[in-house]
Formats: sequence, C-alpha cells, structure tokens
Amino acid sequence: MGEINTNVYATQPTRFTLFMRTFLPWQLWRFFCINLTMMLLIGREKHLHK
Amino acid sequence: MGAGIAGHTAASYLRTWLDKTHEVVVVSPQSDYNWVPSNIWLGLGLMTEKQVTFPLAPVYSRAGIRFEQTRAVEIHPEGSVDIPDPHIVVEKRVSGQPAERSPINYDYLVNATGPRLNFDATEGLGPGKHTVSVCTPDHANEAAKDFLALVELMKVGQRCRFVVGTGHGMCTCEGAAFEYVVNLEFELRQHGVRDKAEVIFLTNEYELGDFGMDGAFIRRNGYITPTNIFTESVLAERDIWSITRAHVRKIEHGRLFYETLAGEEHELTFDMAMLLPPFAGVGLQAFDHAGEEITSKLFAPNGFMKVDADYTQKPYEQWKAADWPRTYQCPAYPNIFAAGIAFAPPHAISRPHTSSKGTPIFAAAPRTGMPSATIGRVVARSIADKLTGKENPLHTASMAELGAACVASSGSSLFKGTAASMTVFPIVPDYERYPKYGRDLKFTTGEIGLAGHWIKVILHYMFLYKAKLLPGWRLIPE
Repeated sequence: MGEINTNVYATQPTRFTLFMRTFLPWQLWRFFCINLTMMLLIGREKHLHK
Repeated sequence: MGAGIAGHTAASYLRTWLDKTHEVVVVSPQSDYNWVPSNIWLGLGLMTEKQVTFPLAPVYSRAGIRFEQTRAVEIHPEGSVDIPDPHIVVEKRVSGQPAERSPINYDYLVNATGPRLNFDATEGLGPGKHTVSVCTPDHANEAAKDFLALVELMKVGQRCRFVVGTGHGMCTCEGAAFEYVVNLEFELRQHGVRDKAEVIFLTNEYELGDFGMDGAFIRRNGYITPTNIFTESVLAERDIWSITRAHVRKIEHGRLFYETLAGEEHELTFDMAMLLPPFAGVGLQAFDHAGEEITSKLFAPNGFMKVDADYTQKPYEQWKAADWPRTYQCPAYPNIFAAGIAFAPPHAISRPHTSSKGTPIFAAAPRTGMPSATIGRVVARSIADKLTGKENPLHTASMAELGAACVASSGSSLFKGTAASMTVFPIVPDYERYPKYGRDLKFTTGEIGLAGHWIKVILHYMFLYKAKLLPGWRLIPE
C-alpha cells in the first residue's frame, strides 16, 4: 500500500456535533430547512428562451 | 432510446404534452425501471431488487407509450436506400438464435441510452471477474451476497479488508462510491463486526470531496470550507482510510495494482472490492443515406453524443460555463437530442491531472439524477413545442445554470441513521458569475444528519411513485 491517508490530521467532529446529528428535535428542524433549501433550488431553475 | 431517469422522464412528458396523433416510443433492452440511487442499499442487503425496480411494460401500456424491449444499435438520420425516413435499427437477441434487426422510424429522436459500464477498461474489473459493483440491480445483489458472506466470516473471528471506490483513473460517480463505503462501514457496526474489518476508500479524485465537480465550498459555522475537509472528516470519524489520486491498472483475485499521480506503483490486497467502472457511450453507430458510416459526426470518441457544447480542446484555465450545452440538440441533425449521461460533456468539471507516466487520473463529470431528469423534461418540452407548432425557441437546461440536490446515505436506520444532504448551484462552476468560489454560497450547502436519511427514504418512495406515472406524478419535481 502506498500514500494511504490514515486521517491523523483530519478534522474530527466533537461529541456534541455527533449527538446533534441524531438528536430528534434538532433533526426535525433541519428536515424542514433542508427541504426548504431544495425547493428554493428547484424554483431557481430557469428555462430561458434562445 | 433508453428508459433510465432521463429517457423515462422525456417519454413521460412527451406523452403528457402531445395528443394521441403523435406516437411516443421507448426502446430499451431492460424490462424494468431501476431507481439507481437506491442500489447502494440493495448492494448491502438492506433492500430487495423488487424495492428498487418495477416492470416498465404495464406502466407504458397504461400511459399510451409504445414500449419496445430491444437494443438500439444504429441511427440512420438521413434514412437509407431501403427506408427513406430517418430511423434507428434495433436488435433483439434470443438465445440460440441469430440476432433479429428491424427499423423504427422517427420524426424526433431522444438519445437517453445512459452509460456503457466500461469494466473492460481495467483488467480484472467487474462482476464475474474480481470485483463487485452496484451499478445495476444484478450487480448490487451479488455485492450484497459477498458482503454478507464476509460478515459471517468476521463473526467467527476472521479479519477482512474492504476496498471501495473507483476502478479506473477516469471514473465518475465518486459520490456513489463514497455513499457505499460509509454505508458499508455503518452496516459492519450494525452487524457487530467493525473491529474485524479494515475499510479503505480508493479514489481517482485529486482531493476527497471532489465528486467530479471540482469540489465545492460550503459556508458553515463561521467558515467557508472546501468539501474535502468535510469528506475527510466523515471518513476519519469512521476510521475509513483513503487513497486518492489513484488509477487502478489491474486486478487479480484478492489484489489490485494502482498507479498514483506521482507515478508510483502500488499493490493492495482485499477480501471484497466494490469498484465502479468508467463510463462510455453504448456504442451506437450512425450511417448516412448512402450507407457510409458517419458515427464520428454524431458521437465523440468516448461514444457520447455531441450536442450544442463547445468541444474545442482547451486547457483548464480556459474552461467556461458557456462551454456546456443548453438545448442538448445534435448540431448535425436538429431532430436528434441527447439527454442524461448520453450527451458528450465538453470536458470534465474537475481540473485534469496526468501522472508522471502520462496516465490521466482525475474525476470525470457526473450527471446525477436531478439534472438528468431535468434535461429529459426540457428536451421533451422543446420537441413538444416543435410538434405543436409553437414558435418558442428551444428550451434550455445548462448544467452551468442548474442546481442539484444530492442526498448520500451514510447509515440506514430510522433513528440512528444519517445522510449527507448537499445542494450545489450551479453544478458546473461559473467563475464569471461567481468569481471567487464559482457557485452561489446561499445555495451550495451540505450537512450530515438524521434528517438527510429521512429525506433519502422519502425520495426513494416519491421518485418510484413518480416513475410509475401514478396520479399526481407531475406534481413531484425532478
């Protein structure tokens, strides 16, 4: 094996960050926010005429 | 031609927008529709084939679309000596019998044939040889069997090494490979055997998080951070090691040989390797009226169809958003369009790199589900407008003007699972419009969490509902 990255210097999440990833109240809020972002993105699609 | 995400979308909208005097025909060698994004879960035994596919014939019959389950092999855009109208030639093979060829005439042709999975580009790559894949339901089923068999071995104490990534220096779909490796690691923990496994992500990307779109910058927690930091972090927290800038040259039973950008040769042993192949066009040939081959007039050397892109060879520093196609119309024959993976990109999105031995090693441009479906719909709109006599110009959907949302699962569980939800706008960076980062940071976002997993599951059921053309399907956006 060569040039393998064993992640020694990689950014690691804190315990709080890991906790929040599956903390239900926070994730319910993020569910709403992510869906809103995606809907706004879809709304931005432009079908321009030549 | 083609009943994947782009072709199926185009056919569905054409049938919706055109009256019954117009015939919509879908030609595909596959009998089933496959929701490819969920093949990741099929490939780990978390879903069955029935959950990611459905038969096309009844859906098309209900919709009034003629379905020919056969393979297109030739395009005759000027007709031929025997058949004056433009037509394609399709080929049906029944085992033990010679292939039967027949013509299908067209007024408008949409090439949505998707990729040829070019396993032959690397010696030993692919199902039936030495690696597994999740590109098709059959492949994913085999991958799941291999994975679960190794889980059983690990449960009795054997140590195993899993290698996941790209099987060639010019692959795309690094996002799918990333999704598979983090799901695989999650499943190893669920099975209680993570301590017996070594998991390695092997990729042709220059940096992790490139994903074939030259990476992205995301505004988060007071910083504008490149995606390689996040991707590296995701792998690090799961103890997944990574090898970047790698071109897999050859694979034998239980070991692979790869070259790096530095020109070094390395060997890596494995118990299971899920390595995606590079893509090529499906190999359609084209002929003029006299029967002379004109394949190079319609297709790039990689087999993808030329459209209204700027194919001038130029260095990375001169690449522009305007190089990318907008209408997907074939310049040689205005009644032919290419949608989804079938169109030839003008160049990659990521910066190209070549090893010191002259081997190109960089990620090819991805065409994910959302832009593929959008392109299919826009091409259908352009054709429908032409057929209904509208004076509208062609409709456009440049990847330099489209956004994309991707949700990459990183562990499937209703309350413990997570997924990386990402949006980018535009897909192809436009440094003239967004000078510093190439993209609008308000709409280029990324985060990991349980919410993403819920979204991924909902999208699975929602897009299968849409693809089955069930009531209200048009209300679901691409």
